[in-house]
Amino acid sequence: MEDSKLDNFIICKKCHTLHRKIKLHHGTKALCQQCNTLLYRHHQNFIDRLLALSLVEFIALIIAFSFTIIKININGIYRGLDFSSIFYTIFHNHYYIVGIIVLFFIFIFPIVILLSLILALILMKLKRFKYLVKRLLILIAKLSHWSMIDIFLLSILVAMVKLFDYAQLEFSVAFIALILVILLDIFTLKRVSFSDMWEEYENIYRKSDSKR
Amino acid sequence: MICGKSMRIYTENQIVKDSLIRCPICEAINIDNGGEIVCRRCKEKIHDYKSISFHKTVAFLITAMILYIPANLYPILLTKKFGVVHENTILGGIMHLWEAGSYPVALIILFASVFVPILKFIFIIYLLVSTKYSLKSSKVDRHKLFYITEVIGSWSMVDVFVVAILSVLIHFSIVEIIPGRGATAFALMVFFTMLSAISFDIRLIKERY
Repeated sequence: MEDSKLDNFIICKKCHTLHRKIKLHHGTKALCQQCNTLLYRHHQNFIDRLLALSLVEFIALIIAFSFTIIKININGIYRGLDFSSIFYTIFHNHYYIVGIIVLFFIFIFPIVILLSLILALILMKLKRFKYLVKRLLILIAKLSHWSMIDIFLLSILVAMVKLFDYAQLEFSVAFIALILVILLDIFTLKRVSFSDMWEEYENIYRKSDSKR
Repeated sequence: MICGKSMRIYTENQIVKDSLIRCPICEAINIDNGGEIVCRRCKEKIHDYKSISFHKTVAFLITAMILYIPANLYPILLTKKFGVVHENTILGGIMHLWEAGSYPVALIILFASVFVPILKFIFIIYLLVSTKYSLKSSKVDRHKLFYITEVIGSWSMVDVFVVAILSVLIHFSIVEIIPGRGATAFALMVFFTMLSAISFDIRLIKERY
C-alpha cells in the first residue's frame, strides 16, 4: 500500500481498531467506534492557539519552580516547600538515585517537553527548520511518558492531608501556578493528539516544499 | 453517525489486517514486515525484532519484581523524634493512616503503591503469556489492557514524591522525616515497570509468538 493511502487511516491508541479518516466539520471530533476514545478533532488556528497556551503554561511552570509551593507552621516555626529544597534534601540525605529520578520526572522532563513544544510551534509558524521540528516532535513524544508533574501535585495534596492535624498550612503562589500548569496541560498536550501535530507538520512543510 | 458534537467513524473491517501497525511516536500507520520496523513518517525505530522486545520486557519486568521486595520490606520513611528513629514501611504507613482515620489518603496510597504495581505485574505477565499460549481473550481486550498498563504506570510514584515532600517540610530539631532505603527500591521499581511496558511489542498481541 502506498504512503498516501496509509495516511487515510488511523489506528485507535487504546484498542488498535483501524478506521478510515473523514473530514470533520468545525468543532467536531472523531471517536473510535469500538471504545469511544478520541481519534482526532477539528482544530481551528491550531498552532496559534497551542502556542499561546504553551507560553502561558511555561510562565506558570517557571513561577511554580521558582517560588514556595506551601508553607507549614508548627508552633510558630515555619517551613516552606519549593523545588530546590526537595532536591537539596534528597541529595543531602545521600539518596542520589531517588534524587536523580525525582529531578528528571518533575523538573527536567516537564521543562524540556514544554520548551521543545514552544520551539517546534514557533518554527512551524515560521515554516523553517523542518528537520529540527521533526526531532523536537519526536523528543516530546518520547518524554511524554516520563513527565510526572501532575502526579507531583497529587502527592502535595496527599502530604497536606497527612500534615493537616499537626500543622497550619498556607498555600503560596507556586501552588496556584502548579494547578494552572496542570489545567493548561489538559488543553495542550493532553487534548492535542500526536497525529494532529504530525499532520499539521506535514501540511506546513509540504506546502513550503512545493512553493520552492 | 453524529452524536452531539462528536462524530463516529466506521471501522474498515474489509482492510483490517494484522500487517498494519501504529507508530507510537507520530501515530502514522506502517506496514509490518515482521522484523525491525522504521516508521515511514518520523523515521524512528518502532520495534525491535519481536524476540528482542519480548526478552527486554521480561528482563525489565523481572528486575521490577525483584525490586518490589525490598521496596516493601525496607522502610520508605524514617521518623526521628527526640533522637529515636521510627521506621515506616509502605504497608505500615497505610495502616497508620487508616488507624488515624485518614481513609481517603490511606486508600490513595494503597491504590498507588500496592495495587498499581501488582496490577501492572499481572497485566504484563498476562500479555506475555498470551503471546505464547492462546488464551480466551480478544485482541481488543489485550490492547486495552496494555493501554491501561501504560497509563497507570507513573501513578505509583505518588509515595516517593510524598516522602520527598514530607522530608522537606518536617525538618526540625526535635522531629525529622528522612527517606528510607525502601524509597530507592520503590522509585527504581516504578522506573523498570515503565520500561517494561514501553519495551513491550504490541505486535505480539496480534499473533501467537
